[in-house]
Amino acid sequence: MKFILNYIRKDEWSPYVAGVLLGLVGIAAVWASDSLLGASGAFENIAGMIGKAVAPAAFDNMYFNFIMPPGITYGVMLVVGIFFGGLIGAATSGTLKWGKKDSANSDEQWKRVFGQQTWKRWGLAFIGAIVLEYAAGIAGGCTSGLAISGGMLLAPAAFLFIAGMFAGGIPTAWLIYGKRF
Amino acid sequence: MLNFILALVLGVFFGFSLNKAGLTKYSKIVNVYRFTDMTVLKFMMTALVVSMSGLYTLRGLGLITFPNVPATYIVGNLVGGVIFGFGMALSGYCPGTAAAGAGEGKLDYLIPGLLGFLTGAVIYGLTYDKVFPQISALANYGNTIIPEIWNINPFLFILAFSLISLLLFYLIERVGWQREEKVME
Repeated sequence: MKFILNYIRKDEWSPYVAGVLLGLVGIAAVWASDSLLGASGAFENIAGMIGKAVAPAAFDNMYFNFIMPPGITYGVMLVVGIFFGGLIGAATSGTLKWGKKDSANSDEQWKRVFGQQTWKRWGLAFIGAIVLEYAAGIAGGCTSGLAISGGMLLAPAAFLFIAGMFAGGIPTAWLIYGKRF
Repeated sequence: MLNFILALVLGVFFGFSLNKAGLTKYSKIVNVYRFTDMTVLKFMMTALVVSMSGLYTLRGLGLITFPNVPATYIVGNLVGGVIFGFGMALSGYCPGTAAAGAGEGKLDYLIPGLLGFLTGAVIYGLTYDKVFPQISALANYGNTIIPEIWNINPFLFILAFSLISLLLFYLIERVGWQREEKVME
């Protein structure tokens, strides 16, 4: 029992142990609620909500009316849960960043490679996030909604997506890191 | 309502596992593409082995049916994946890990992450009809699964996938299929 509690308090688990937990969550999603895990779709639902409130005419199209209707969906609740899961995880290991001095950018590797400027980190992260969401739309899901959820059902789409991820990620990291790659 | 509570609970465990795997760190995500830390691959492949074994066993026992399988359209899945990999290496997150990192109080996850995803979602939603119908029409196989198109027993595929994963884990952990982090002055 003490061992388990101590393990939960660790900052980082073995990726194999954490992976088993994610696998069980994936099974539970299908078993208990006949649904798949996913994250990128939730942002489409929220974007539609905001868009329809601010500029209803522009957002009155097929996508926001029928494909990804706005609203608080199952996917949105899942992402809210993920938020709190991260919070609880960090709380158990005492690594929460709320109110900490380095909360704007806490990654040592980033600072070593790119410097201390927060705007640089935020700028690249913002562009990256736009790209991620758009790409998830084209591919039909993100790492959770397509790679994990599709992969566990043995959908070819998932394995094509994972191959693509590496084909895009490796040259990008190589370009960004240059000599440090 | 019950389904919403379930989503919340499942999300908590999902986010918790992302935090404990260390994927809410920029370096963990980008380093898989530099081959200096293969955590992302170990985590994902373990999750896949567990979930595919469990789901096909439960379905074999008649306890569950599968929800809508994500559609396969080769060009879109691949091209989307390539662009997604570019975004991952640039930001060091993906939509799920960004949500978990935001919960931890990392403001570089919460603010540019949330704003970026919403911006991307708006751009996608407004250009959807000019992009998606065309790209998803190319080499479209619909909601298919590998056992169907290859006409093989799913458990045989799962066994092969598990053995390949174990071999890969062995090569990474024991044979050292991982590059050393470069020390720069």
